[in-house]
Amino acid sequence: MLALERLTKRFGGLTAVREVSLEVRAGDLLGIIGPNGAGKTTLFNVIAGYYRPDEGRVVFDGRDVTGRPAHEIARLGLTRTFQIVKPFGNLSVLDNVMIGGLTRLPSTRAARADAERVIEVCGLGLHAAARARALPLALRKRLEVARALATRPRLLLLDEVMSGLNPTELVAMIDLVRRLHADGLTLIVIEHIMAAMMRLAQRIVMLHHGEKLAEGTPREIAADRRVIDAYLGEEFVLAEA
Amino acid sequence: MRRALARHRGALLLFGAAALTPIVVRDAYFLDSLVLILLWGSLSAAWNVAGGYAGQVSIGHAAFFGIGAYSAALAGARWQQSPWLGMLAGIALSLVAGAAIGYLSNRLRGPYFALSTIAFSQVLLIVASRWRGFTSGSEGIPVPFRPGFATLGLGHVAWAYLALAVALLYWGIQLWLERSRFGYRLAGVREDEDAAQALGIPARRLKVIAVTVSAALTSVCGTLWAQYVGFVDPFYVFSVDLSIRFALNAIIGGVGTALGPFLGSILITSLETYLRATLSGVQSGFTGIYLIVYGTMLILVVRFFPAGLAGLAARLRARRAGAHG
Amino acid sequence: MDPARPLGRPQIDVVAQLGVSTVLLGGIYALIAVGLTLIFGIMRVVNFAHGEFLMLGMYLAFWAYTLLALDPWFVLFVSIPLFFGLGLLTYVLIMRGIIHASHNVQIFTTVGLSIALQNLALVLWSGDFHTVRPWHAGAPIRVAGTAFNLSQVVAFFIAIALTVALFAFMRWTHTGRVMRATAQDRDAAILMGIDTDRVYRITFALGIAAVGAAGVLVSPLYAIYPQAGLQFVLLSYVVVVLGGLGDMVGALIGSLIVAAVEVAGSYWFGTAWKEIFYFLLFIAVLVFRPAGLFGQRGAETLGA
Repeated sequence: MLALERLTKRFGGLTAVREVSLEVRAGDLLGIIGPNGAGKTTLFNVIAGYYRPDEGRVVFDGRDVTGRPAHEIARLGLTRTFQIVKPFGNLSVLDNVMIGGLTRLPSTRAARADAERVIEVCGLGLHAAARARALPLALRKRLEVARALATRPRLLLLDEVMSGLNPTELVAMIDLVRRLHADGLTLIVIEHIMAAMMRLAQRIVMLHHGEKLAEGTPREIAADRRVIDAYLGEEFVLAEA
Repeated sequence: MRRALARHRGALLLFGAAALTPIVVRDAYFLDSLVLILLWGSLSAAWNVAGGYAGQVSIGHAAFFGIGAYSAALAGARWQQSPWLGMLAGIALSLVAGAAIGYLSNRLRGPYFALSTIAFSQVLLIVASRWRGFTSGSEGIPVPFRPGFATLGLGHVAWAYLALAVALLYWGIQLWLERSRFGYRLAGVREDEDAAQALGIPARRLKVIAVTVSAALTSVCGTLWAQYVGFVDPFYVFSVDLSIRFALNAIIGGVGTALGPFLGSILITSLETYLRATLSGVQSGFTGIYLIVYGTMLILVVRFFPAGLAGLAARLRARRAGAHG
Repeated sequence: MDPARPLGRPQIDVVAQLGVSTVLLGGIYALIAVGLTLIFGIMRVVNFAHGEFLMLGMYLAFWAYTLLALDPWFVLFVSIPLFFGLGLLTYVLIMRGIIHASHNVQIFTTVGLSIALQNLALVLWSGDFHTVRPWHAGAPIRVAGTAFNLSQVVAFFIAIALTVALFAFMRWTHTGRVMRATAQDRDAAILMGIDTDRVYRITFALGIAAVGAAGVLVSPLYAIYPQAGLQFVLLSYVVVVLGGLGDMVGALIGSLIVAAVEVAGSYWFGTAWKEIFYFLLFIAVLVFRPAGLFGQRGAETLGA
C-alpha cells in the first residue's frame, strides 16, 4: 500500500531523514522506534505531505504522491495524527470528529451521524458535547484518533499516541489500536513505549540519526545488537504477549 | 422550524424591531441612526467572515470599503452610471484585492498579517488622495443624488429597509457559515490549520475564499454607504480608524457569532451618537473621548470577555435555563 | 524642511545631499526601531501602539516648548526617565497580561491602546497640526555643497549616541545579557531561574524610553498631530523585519535602508508619494524576506 523509496530530508546542514526505504502492505501494523531526534516525526511529515523530501519518493497505492500537499494526501486516504495533539479546542468533541467526516461526506447531517458512531467506537461517547479544550490528555489523544478515523483512512499514521498516558489509559489505547487493526485498518505507529509496541506491531523499523538501522519482527528487533546498543539499552526479555 | 425560531429569538426580536421602527417612527434623525446601525453592523459582519470565522484578523478592511465607495462615487459622478453598476465594479475590484490579501494571509502569521493589511489600506489611501486626475485627489468626490431606486437616491424610510435587507442577508450568510460544510471546515482551519490539513481540508484555499468573500461583502456596503452619505473622502474611507471600527463592533458584540457584529454595532453606534449629541458644542477635542472609551473597551473585552456581548447573553440564557431546569 | 529637495547643483552634490539625508534620517529611524526590535525580539509581542508613544514624545516637546519655552534638547533629558516610567506603567497595566495570550488578544489590546492614546492626544491637544520651531530648526549647516538644518544633525548624533548606549548596555551589562538570553530561548531562561517578568519590564520600559526620546528629537522636524505615530509605526516594523527581530545591528542597517528608500523615493517621485514607498517596501519585505536580510531569526514567528 505504501512504499518509501530512499527518502531523504535535509534542514540546512542537518540530514533528518537519510535514504529511508520501507514497504507497508495492506493490513499491516508497522512500528517505528528510535531515540528522540532520530527523524521519526520528520518521516511522518514527509509521508503526509507537510515537508517535501529532498530525494526519494513516496508511493501510496501505486500513486506517486511525493511532494503533494498534505490535504491532497489526506483525501487519498492517508491520514496522520500529531505527536503534540492538535484538537480544535473551541469546538465540541462531536464537531471535531464531524469535521473529519466532512472530508468524504457531503452533508453535515451525514457527517454528524457518522461522527457519533466513530465517537462510540473510540470510547468518547460520554464526552461528545464537551469542548475539546477542556478534555484531559488521555481523552484528547483519543479524540485525535477519532477525528482521523472519521476520514475513513486506508492508512493511518499514529505519532506517539500512547505517550503521557497512565497505565490504565495505556491499556485502553492499546486495545483501541488493536481493534482498529483487527477491523482492517493499515497502521504505522511511532512509539517509545516498548511494551505497547511489542504487543501491537507485526514488524518494527528502527530509525537512528535519520537512517533505518534495523527492521524485523518484534522478537528480532529486541534481540538485534544494533538496536540494543543504540536504543533499548540491554537485553530486552520478551514476555509472551 | 419552531426550534429554529426559538434559537434565533434574539435576532428575530432585534430585526423585527428594526423592521417596525420606520413605520412607528418618522423622525429623520432617528431613522438615520437606524440606517447607520444596520450598515455598520453589516460591515462588521462582513469583517467577521474573515476575522471571526476564518480567524484572519485584518485591520485593513477599509481598503475594500473604500473601493466600494469610490466605485459608486466615480460611477455616478464621473461616468453618470448607476451606482449598482459601480457596486458591481467595486465587487470585482474587491475580489481581486481580497485575493491578494488572502495570499498574504497564507504567508504571514497573525500580527504580521494584520500589519500588512494596514499597509495595504494605506497604499490605497495615498493613491486615492493623490491621484487628482482620477479621484479628485484629497478633495474627495461628492456623490450625486438622483431620486429613484436604480440610482440609489432614496428617502430615509427606503434606506432603512434597504439597510435592513442587507443586514438580514449578512446575518444569514454568517449563520450559513456556522452550519454549512464549508463553515465547519473553515472553523477547523481557524482552530488549527495543520490539523485541518491532516483531515483533507485545503486550508490555504479556504482562507483565501473567506477573505475574498469578506472583501466583496465589505465593498457592497461601501457603495451603499457612499450613496447614503453622499460624499467620499479618501482620508476617511480608507482610514485605519475605520478598519478598526469594523473589527471593534464584531469583537465587542461577539466575534465569530452571527449576531455579534450587530449587537456590537447597536452598542457602539448608539454610544457614539449619544456622546456626540451631548458633547456637541464643546470643543472638538472632546469627540475623542468616546474613542478613548472604545479603546479601553477593546482592551477589556478582548482580555476578559472574549465572547463579547453575545457570549454574555448566552451565559445569561444558560443560567436562566439552569435555574428552570 | 524637506531633506530631499534638490538644490539645483551638479550631480555629485545631489548624491551627497541624498546620502547625508539618508544617514541623518536613518539615525532617527534607528532609535525608534531599536526600541521596537528589543520589545519584539525579547517579548515577542507586536505592539501596535508603538507609534503612539513616539507621538506622545512629540507632544511632550510641544507642551514644554509652548508652555515653558523649553528647548527639546533639554526636554530630552527629562523625557528619558519619564518615558521609562511610562513604559513600566504600561507594562504592568497592560502588556504583562497579554504576553502569553493569543495573537488576537495581543493585536487588539495594543490596537485598543493605540486608539486610546491617539484620542487622548486629540482630547488634550485637539487635532490641529502643531509644530515646534526652536532656533535650531531653521539654522542651516552647509558642508561641502550640502545643506541641512541643525535640528536634524543634532537629532542624528543624539539618536546615535542613545542607540550606542543601548547597545552597550545589552552587550556588556549583566542585565543586558540576561535580556538577550531571554530573547533567544524563553523557556530555557525560565529554567535557569531568570525572572522573566523583570526582564520584560525593563525591556518594555527601555523600548518606550527610546521611542519617547525619539519623539522629542524629531519634534522640530515633523508636524505634530494625534496620528503622527501611524507612519512611524509601520516604518519601524519594516526596519525591524528587515534587520531581523531582536537584532540591534540589523535594526541600524535596516534603518539606513528604509531611509534610503524614502529619500530616493521622494527625490524621484516627489514628497507627495513618499509615504507610499515604505508601505510598499513593507509588503515586499514581508512577502519576500520575512526572515530579514540576515537570516532566520523571527521567521518562524512571521511565517504562516
